[in-house]
Amino acid sequence: MTDTAKTDFTHRHFAHCESGSTSNLLFHYGISASEALVFGIGSGVFFGYFPFLKLNGLPLITYRSFPGRLMKNTAKRLGVGVKGFKFKDPEKGMEALDDMLRRGVPVGLQTGVYWLPYFPPPLRIHFNAHIIIAYGANGNGYLISDPVFDEPVTCTREDLKKARFARGMLSPKGRMFHFAGAPEHIDLAAAVVKGIKETCFMMLKLPVPIIGVRGIKFFAKSIRAWPEKHGKRKALLYLGHAIRMQEEVGTGGGGFRLMYAAFLQEAAAILKDDRLLDLSKRMTVIGDRWREYAVSSARIYKDRASEKDNFNLLSDILLDCAEKEQGLFCDLSEIVR
Amino acid sequence: MKLFEQPGLEFEKELLEMIVDVCKIPDPVPDDFSPDDPLIGRDSALGLDSLDAVEIVVSVEKKYNVRINVEETSRVIFRSVKTLADYIRKQMGSEPQPAD
Repeated sequence: MTDTAKTDFTHRHFAHCESGSTSNLLFHYGISASEALVFGIGSGVFFGYFPFLKLNGLPLITYRSFPGRLMKNTAKRLGVGVKGFKFKDPEKGMEALDDMLRRGVPVGLQTGVYWLPYFPPPLRIHFNAHIIIAYGANGNGYLISDPVFDEPVTCTREDLKKARFARGMLSPKGRMFHFAGAPEHIDLAAAVVKGIKETCFMMLKLPVPIIGVRGIKFFAKSIRAWPEKHGKRKALLYLGHAIRMQEEVGTGGGGFRLMYAAFLQEAAAILKDDRLLDLSKRMTVIGDRWREYAVSSARIYKDRASEKDNFNLLSDILLDCAEKEQGLFCDLSEIVR
Repeated sequence: MKLFEQPGLEFEKELLEMIVDVCKIPDPVPDDFSPDDPLIGRDSALGLDSLDAVEIVVSVEKKYNVRINVEETSRVIFRSVKTLADYIRKQMGSEPQPAD
């Protein structure tokens, strides 16, 4: 690794890695888009329950789209060229990164949080879909914009290589991507509509029972059956895992629903349609309902549940979330039809 | 909780008392627990983890009307009682007053 010319990259602190990194990269190319707007245009909100895919031996549950998709969707819909690469050979992956940085091009990287040394040790979890931007290098290592941190950070070549080639579920395989310049004209309204249409399709129309609103309902039924099917101890283990997937592993849940509410608020102004303001309020209520589910689950897991907190209640809350999301996305799809 | 008795740490002390209450921490807070000590995770002297953080998020929202939206930010916010207090102060723009 050699020092690169100083790239004039502006680091801004955001709530979530991929939407934050995308917003920062767009800003570098002169496009100002809030994190919520990026999240909506990129169709970030999602639900998937994959009992056959295991993370630490327990089923994968995700509340956002798969890693990299949000960034690609957003760029494509805004007319920004995006190029993506993945590598089998870690050394070649690092050389390709060095090459882009020497040319002064900031690069998005998929990484495993556990190997990023600038994370405080208690927060270094095994999550392999953390998106950051490398924008240069100096004697201390790579210059990194990680949007969940206040300030830019640095990372040595060895640590970054381990993070980029971490093994396990969602392994990054050295994935990196960069933008290829901004278009002269951006049709923001068209991008917003495309983002909404795909979200509605994913949440309502996919003929798979484990994805979207149907996935939430399937998960609700599963969770009701856990104590009888698995016994109390294993049911609690599954429950703890489900809440960590929602609130800890960067997969969102309530938080992402609230971010989508903020997107709908911006979309109302862009599309000049006040009906979206009403949907924004409804999405906030849904986000709060997901949080209620998380709090009740945490109480059950921690053995400090009140009488009303039990697996049946959790299932009921999830079914309510599913019904509310179904109504919201149906109304949303009517607006953008 | 001795280290929280110093002048200027009234809000940090109030937050710690709320955390002890909502997370039903059974043992007394160690005297040497400071506002800068890890709040959540393996190094937490209070034994709190991310599931406790969920309860704290909701309690902060209810009591101070401050939303803590997405987990990856909240990881940074929950480094210590001090970082949590600073975040709430920043969101409220002044010394916080309970919403209720």
